[in-house]
Amino acid sequence: MKTNRAGDSSLSIEGRYAPNAPDLSLNARVERLRRIANVMRRNVIDMVYTAQSGHIGGSLSAADIVTALYFDLMNVDPARPHWEERDRFVLSKGHACPIWYSALALRGFFPEDELKTLRRNDSRLQGHPIASYLPGLDASTGSLGLGFAQAVGIAMEGKLVKKKGYTVFVVLGDGEIDEGVVWEASLAASKYGLDNLVAIVDINNLQLDGTIGEVMPTEPIDDKFRAFGFDVLTMNGHDMADVLMTLAKARNARAGRPVCVLARTVKGKGVDFMEHELDWHGKAPNDEQYGKACAQLEKTGRELEGAEA
Amino acid sequence: MNFVPAKIATRRAFAERMTECASTDKDFVVFESDLAKSTYSYLFKEKHPERYFNMGIAEIGTMGAAAGMAAEGRKVIVCGYGVFITMRAVEAIRSFICYPHLNVKFLSSHGGLTAAIDGVTHQSTEDIAFMTTLPRMKVLVPADTAAAKAAFDIALATPGPVFTRLTRDPLYELYDSGEEFHLGGSKIVRAGKDVTIASYGDMVFQALAAADELAKGGIDAEVIDFYSLKPWDQAALAQSLKKTQALVVAENHQKRNGFGYEAAVWVLQNTPVPTRLIGLEDTFGESGAYQKTLEKFGLSGAAIAEKAAALVARKK
Repeated sequence: MKTNRAGDSSLSIEGRYAPNAPDLSLNARVERLRRIANVMRRNVIDMVYTAQSGHIGGSLSAADIVTALYFDLMNVDPARPHWEERDRFVLSKGHACPIWYSALALRGFFPEDELKTLRRNDSRLQGHPIASYLPGLDASTGSLGLGFAQAVGIAMEGKLVKKKGYTVFVVLGDGEIDEGVVWEASLAASKYGLDNLVAIVDINNLQLDGTIGEVMPTEPIDDKFRAFGFDVLTMNGHDMADVLMTLAKARNARAGRPVCVLARTVKGKGVDFMEHELDWHGKAPNDEQYGKACAQLEKTGRELEGAEA
Repeated sequence: MNFVPAKIATRRAFAERMTECASTDKDFVVFESDLAKSTYSYLFKEKHPERYFNMGIAEIGTMGAAAGMAAEGRKVIVCGYGVFITMRAVEAIRSFICYPHLNVKFLSSHGGLTAAIDGVTHQSTEDIAFMTTLPRMKVLVPADTAAAKAAFDIALATPGPVFTRLTRDPLYELYDSGEEFHLGGSKIVRAGKDVTIASYGDMVFQALAAADELAKGGIDAEVIDFYSLKPWDQAALAQSLKKTQALVVAENHQKRNGFGYEAAVWVLQNTPVPTRLIGLEDTFGESGAYQKTLEKFGLSGAAIAEKAAALVARKK
């Protein structure tokens, strides 16, 4: 078992993608992120296909959000995964970890070829993310609601104890907010004025047993978070310019209140036969489906390259 | 021994039986926490939507509401994964279901490392400790689909809370569909005279594989399936130990506070014989393939055989 030796830069890996250069135009940043998001999606498909197990739908709905964070907005250093000043990220909907693992690999926290070990014996890429296994994971998740509560604790440490300027980004599923602990932790986030906390709800409208409306209606979600003391913003979770600007606004607000960003998304986004399909919550593609998904993402990739030229 | 592969997992067999029984016993309802596609409780929902309540991803609230309905005299089946039922919602089970002795039954999937590929957050490796420790709780762990269906019947017929541990993946078949099971019972699935291997659930197959391995070295192992863990069949163990004078307990669970601890204490107080316990050695599991993961953590048939052989050598 390889271990995470924090701060040992000799172990650093050249990630395929560095963060956006600060002098790029907004348009150039967005175009670049869209291309990276497409590679992220391809990684998810490859990983779950290779493992023949894992959660594609919720990984793809969060793909653009996670890309914007890791390749533009968040201040992280792959050579120093435990650097105190870094921004933190917690994927509270831990079953979507293929997208998190992909971001960490492409950013250079660990070698990209390790992605194909997902869910295998002796892999650092556990079925649900375990922080002690892999550099870059700021919390272990996989038991819904409890990733969010940990993010609140990380934000409390940053704001109230350690007094560092970092921001804590946490992504929750829309089904996940059924959990009572989400609301318990929200009360605390409000009590302690955690304006260093940005909670992003990935609203893809599907959970395991059906639509949100069928299983457990949670709308109006904006009113709920507002009533719990959050400032609430809304964005299209697949419009990269919207994602980038809304999340930047959320990070910069610092108004003495936590911020909740409602991201309207599509489960399975990017592969047409997986979009809006409940079946792709936790199913692995067969050879034919894998081929079709790859062909589509490759086509999207070529189109995005064309847009650049 | 060549095991017959099962077509379905025990979680599904239990849910199928629950659905079958619903038309004759109209007195029970089913609670789910957004895992219907995984626990197969959707089979029940399709037939009896008016007796089915999906409470969303909210295990503690689900358990409290189940207790409320049970307090009104209703029989309630709560479906879910072992880790979430037995650990997240354990206090609600303890104080508001076990203490008042309410008629709540648990379909608990992903027992032990049978949820290997999902990783530690989904592997229920402490559930037997929690559930057997609760006063008034009964605990069943069927090894195959016939036993799982019987477990549902036992649970429904037994007053008070009954917990049934089930597996994520289809494993093997052991019993005929007409086989009879009862609360507190056990089955000798292989008779032998040199050592008793006590086991339950998926580990019965590893114990049988171990017995085959031991036979090659001239050791004749007796394998007992303790499908009822609480209450458990002390008379059967006593009978077996009288003959073999050596005990191995093998379980897919933490060694500490598992069935092995229960059996070992009983043996110590009643019929002391050389004893060896096999389970997780104060460690968490990890993601991987089921059989490989058992091997990695020393729970496979080969590991059981090795320890049993050493124990028999010590006896002589």
